[in-house]
Amino acid sequence: MGAITIEKADRLYWLGRYSERVYTTLKLYCDGYDSMIDVSEDFYVRICDMLEIPNIYASKGDFISRYGYDRSDPNSIISNLLRGYDNAIVLRDEIGTETLGYIQMALYSVESAAVSDAPVLHLQKAVDNLLAFWGCVDDQIDHFAIRGVMKFGKRVERLDLYLRFRQSPHELRRAYNRMLPRSRESRLPVNWAAMDELKELLQGEEIDYARALACLGRILDV
Amino acid sequence: MNDICKATGAINEQLARYGVKFGIYKNGLFNEQLFPFDAIPRVISAEEFSKLERGLQQRVTALNCFLADIYADGKIVRDGVIPPEFVFSSSGYLAQCAGVKPPRGIASHISGIDLVQAKDGSWYILEDNLRVPSGASYPLIARQLCRRASPETFRETHIADNRDYASLLKRTMDYVNTGGANVILTPGRYNAAYFEHSYLAEQTGSALVTGSDLFVEGDALFYQGMDGTKQRVGAVYRRISDEYLDPMSFLPESVIGVPHLYEVYKKGNVAIINAPGNGVADDKGIYYFVPKMVRYYLGEDCITHNAPTYLPYYEQDMKYTMDNFDRIVIKDVAEAGGYGVVFGDKLTRQQKEDLMALIRREPRRFIAQDVIDFIDIDIMEGDARVPRKADLRAFVLTGEDVTVWKSGLTRFSRNPDSFIVNSSQGGGFKDTWVLSR
Repeated sequence: MGAITIEKADRLYWLGRYSERVYTTLKLYCDGYDSMIDVSEDFYVRICDMLEIPNIYASKGDFISRYGYDRSDPNSIISNLLRGYDNAIVLRDEIGTETLGYIQMALYSVESAAVSDAPVLHLQKAVDNLLAFWGCVDDQIDHFAIRGVMKFGKRVERLDLYLRFRQSPHELRRAYNRMLPRSRESRLPVNWAAMDELKELLQGEEIDYARALACLGRILDV
Repeated sequence: MNDICKATGAINEQLARYGVKFGIYKNGLFNEQLFPFDAIPRVISAEEFSKLERGLQQRVTALNCFLADIYADGKIVRDGVIPPEFVFSSSGYLAQCAGVKPPRGIASHISGIDLVQAKDGSWYILEDNLRVPSGASYPLIARQLCRRASPETFRETHIADNRDYASLLKRTMDYVNTGGANVILTPGRYNAAYFEHSYLAEQTGSALVTGSDLFVEGDALFYQGMDGTKQRVGAVYRRISDEYLDPMSFLPESVIGVPHLYEVYKKGNVAIINAPGNGVADDKGIYYFVPKMVRYYLGEDCITHNAPTYLPYYEQDMKYTMDNFDRIVIKDVAEAGGYGVVFGDKLTRQQKEDLMALIRREPRRFIAQDVIDFIDIDIMEGDARVPRKADLRAFVLTGEDVTVWKSGLTRFSRNPDSFIVNSSQGGGFKDTWVLSR
């Protein structure tokens, strides 16, 4: 295997980001599903606010259906998974058929959940497949930079989501510290000044979430 | 064997898991479809395969001689073996290739030869595919799953292992490589055979690239890494058509090719697999002349048999075509993938008259063939075994030697009344077992 092309590096990065986005929002969706049973009927409004996506949903039932499985909703879980799949499918030669298979399986799991009587139970399979996907990345991909780029994407996405979810400073610093070594391993053109600024912003107990998010958005020199 | 049949559903699930699909455009929309696998294999005895192997090696050798000749001196035309109209008016003939010698003199590195077996056991060649024949990846990945489904079958039956296809392909690429990496050039994921492009790249350790990943600098071809490193490319297994390869030499509007690639190739600084211009040799009209090529170039009788074929271009064959219209199949030489194939007896009176008139106006555009009643092979439909028409695509790899892969893609029709087996027309596939003793 020779050098990774710029196009492939971009796709690896976004595969990492979308698979993490699906994984974390799936967990949020399942928590929200539970909460909306008898605790907070409008929990979905908070989810939309946190993710900064338009609340186009008429009710909690509409949210459960469309945010989970509607391909025409660009913010739905399945739309994000399809974007991950679109990146994965052109990376077979880099990540391998076995690894790619778990993204395919996650997609099948979400599709079968959509028509299931107990969708959240079926979604567990999607979570399992995404975890297996990352296990397979570690187990099957020898190329250091390929793993590095994907994991950097994953860690950037997690920090992005944690900032949106207003996670605690401790959790944010933890997410940042897990992202930092991946930024070096990826060999991508990282904006080190933005990395340093972000580190500063995550110190202390009062976090400026909006500024930190903006800073994270400048993390790559592209 | 029964174990494998029982596992058909599970094997298909695994194929779905690994994204074994093909793309198809319908009404302007792209859809990915699973390629249905049937676990009952086509079985070819060692003796039968040995004969087929000799015939296919001979055929592909003659076709390579033809390609070398036709883009050099054109002796076969000058000697009157093939009329010039069939060569120079072929849409596959590229004037830009005249005088260009491919690395190591090989034009058709990967040849896909379509055959059917008649009910008397004889094999007939239906088509030679020398441009970008696809399909080897499907039996390759299916075999792996069948072995998992029924290890006993493979322990007890002496079946030639077909999992060497990737190493055969890599060896072929390495042999003509002019120095540098091997790459597989794909038009992208919306190509019908994208699964195959990506799978073969993975299996051969080649980089899967699109046109935008490659560039020409000086007299060489490169692709650029994300950190700015340049990697020289020595062999391009291209999975895009000739006309889209290089906008500077072929179709200027191509956005999936590599500007100046053909210049590098002409200088012998990169191999293109298969060579540009091969379409002239797999033209359905040229097919008629392959037995003559074998005799002309090799001085041997042709071992393989063409299906009885008539060229309306010749007066006698035109008469036969018109007199026997209800018993023949008409093929438009410009079409592929099962399109442009018309059975005379399936047409209405008006359609028949229109087609006959068209053939009279454009005789070079069509060939006529007697319909071969080829054998049925059983497939599983639910729990029942039902017979269906099936063909075989054999793969012949030409590098240092000419090797026939001991397997092949068996395609079958799922429609009981159809002879058309192409995946684009709803067909499925089977593994092909060549017995090793």
